[in-house]
Amino acid sequence: MIDADRSILETRSLAKRFSIGTRFSAEGRRTVHAVDNVSLTVRRGETVGLVGESGCGKSTLARCLVRLYDITDGKLLFEGDDITSKSLSELRPLRRRLQMVFQDPSASLNPRRRVGDLVAEPLRIHGKLSAKEITARVAELFELVGLLPDHVMRYPHEFSGGQRQRVGIARAIALNPDLVVLDEPVSALDVSVQAQIVNLLADLQEKLKLTYIFIAHDLSVVRQVSTRIAVMYLGSIVEEGPAEEVFATPAHPYSQALISAVPVVETTPTGARKRIILTGDVPSPLKPPSGCRFHPRCPIAADRCRSERPELREYRPGRKVACHFPTLT
Amino acid sequence: MILSVRDLRVSFRTHDGPVRAIDGVSFNLEESEILGVVGESGSGKTVSLLAVMGLITDPNATIEGSIRYKGRELVGLPPRELRRLRGNEIAMIFQDPMTALTPVYTIGWQIAEQIRAHRGVSKAKAMERVEQLLAEVNFPNPHEAMSRYPHQLSGGMRQRAVIAMALSCDPALLVADEPTTALDVTVQAGILDLVRKLRAKHKSAVVFITHDMGVVSELADRVMVMYAGRVVERGTRSELFSDPRHPYTRALLGSIPPLTGQKPRRLPAIPGSPPSLLRLPQGCAFGPRCPVRYEPCEAGKPGLGSDAHAAACFRVAQA
Repeated sequence: MIDADRSILETRSLAKRFSIGTRFSAEGRRTVHAVDNVSLTVRRGETVGLVGESGCGKSTLARCLVRLYDITDGKLLFEGDDITSKSLSELRPLRRRLQMVFQDPSASLNPRRRVGDLVAEPLRIHGKLSAKEITARVAELFELVGLLPDHVMRYPHEFSGGQRQRVGIARAIALNPDLVVLDEPVSALDVSVQAQIVNLLADLQEKLKLTYIFIAHDLSVVRQVSTRIAVMYLGSIVEEGPAEEVFATPAHPYSQALISAVPVVETTPTGARKRIILTGDVPSPLKPPSGCRFHPRCPIAADRCRSERPELREYRPGRKVACHFPTLT
Repeated sequence: MILSVRDLRVSFRTHDGPVRAIDGVSFNLEESEILGVVGESGSGKTVSLLAVMGLITDPNATIEGSIRYKGRELVGLPPRELRRLRGNEIAMIFQDPMTALTPVYTIGWQIAEQIRAHRGVSKAKAMERVEQLLAEVNFPNPHEAMSRYPHQLSGGMRQRAVIAMALSCDPALLVADEPTTALDVTVQAGILDLVRKLRAKHKSAVVFITHDMGVVSELADRVMVMYAGRVVERGTRSELFSDPRHPYTRALLGSIPPLTGQKPRRLPAIPGSPPSLLRLPQGCAFGPRCPVRYEPCEAGKPGLGSDAHAAACFRVAQA
């Protein structure tokens, strides 16, 4: 159930900048504008999908949301409570409620520890459970994610990619979190296994009343799991709205190009679908373009776009777009 | 016919016993035809094409069967002869462009080197050709790009440079192994477009390996679906996508979330995971995951037969 009134997580003009180089390097000290002016509200029980090309800042944003990165500017609110600059010890009780699943389960699981142990780790750190209770909870978690009870004694390498991701998920939900940030959770998996994990995530969301922030570059997977999506370009959100609507009638020229570029299985001859091919590359976040950041690649850019940066504004309840000339339907 | 592969078998000796990575793969390729090879990791799609390229040099590997390129047998050909073909008549593009580029030379130098190695032209002539090639693969400023090092280019640009290199000697056969997997969809769309244009212009035959059914359906003329070292289904694009026959092909197509229309509440997923080649199940390798398996599936391995649109499945054969 999505609770429309209760936001669980909210950002207000959030920005993350990284400083690179030193004053001795050739170009001197420079600033990467990784996330810029993002205001996003995540409501309890929904799944917000973040999409965009690599380098658009979606992973950086996700890491800011769970405070794995410090936030440069703006505010981050968890249940209305400002957690932008809380200290690590103040954050500790919150960590239990904000969890993350990473792309590559073989990189995020310690290869030298048994998976039962890995899943028990958060319970030991945060919980006040006895050893016996921990064992029972691990068994319960294994069942929840579809692993067999005797798998607890195995090492990560003894599992297939899909099973390893199940371990990663078990670890993330061990403490009954409210919000789970999933950063490309199915991208490293075989196609035939992806659907299993997508279904598992949907089941867990329903059973455990979870809220998800879901990042993936596979747009059809994002559409499947998300209630709402936010399209990012060069650190900012350019479009936001209900997943199916945005896919059916994208308003921003970038969203249109992105969605049209997805190859789909068609029985009709090639070229039946209209494809917008973008020219050029994503500009460097070291020197973002003036005005609208998409204008150098935009097929409909006008003079105004070069000088004036469009705000993300709501043009219809639930639909937002940051463009001077959006395609409104 | 450009390429004819007959009953190709590749096995490797390993610590845990012999592994048969390719078990009787056959296919043909005509001039200016694009063959899509689809499969998951371990299905043998890459190994079979490495065998075609003569790039399996592992002393523990055994290659049996026949690979004929323009009628000439490649299996057992001395490395020297193969080297003359590779890069010249047969070119390959890999998933990660950095495997084909060296970081210490400029793009222009690297492409020119290949042209000079095979064609014996002067450096100036070769450089001229490089500029043409880079323009052809849509580098906005080809002359300037020649003096760039790979690290100065984006992933999409690097892959374009590798494609330019692959095309430098007008190959009759181009093998592309997941060339767009590491790229964003927007960049991928451009590369697929490019492959289509090049096929039309150079009449090259293309073998395109991918795990993405969408990519295959946009690009390929004919499709071959592989599973655990064997071809489970082959046919033209429209045959395969409008009338998929093998349960694996069907299941794979069914498990792709739709991009339009109603979202299914749950995706039809395939249970289990692809088998390890070390411990292949008895009979049909897809058997344990197959929704329609019955007794014959455990007894023997189904063959593909000789039809143009064929599926290696006892159920299909029976129907």
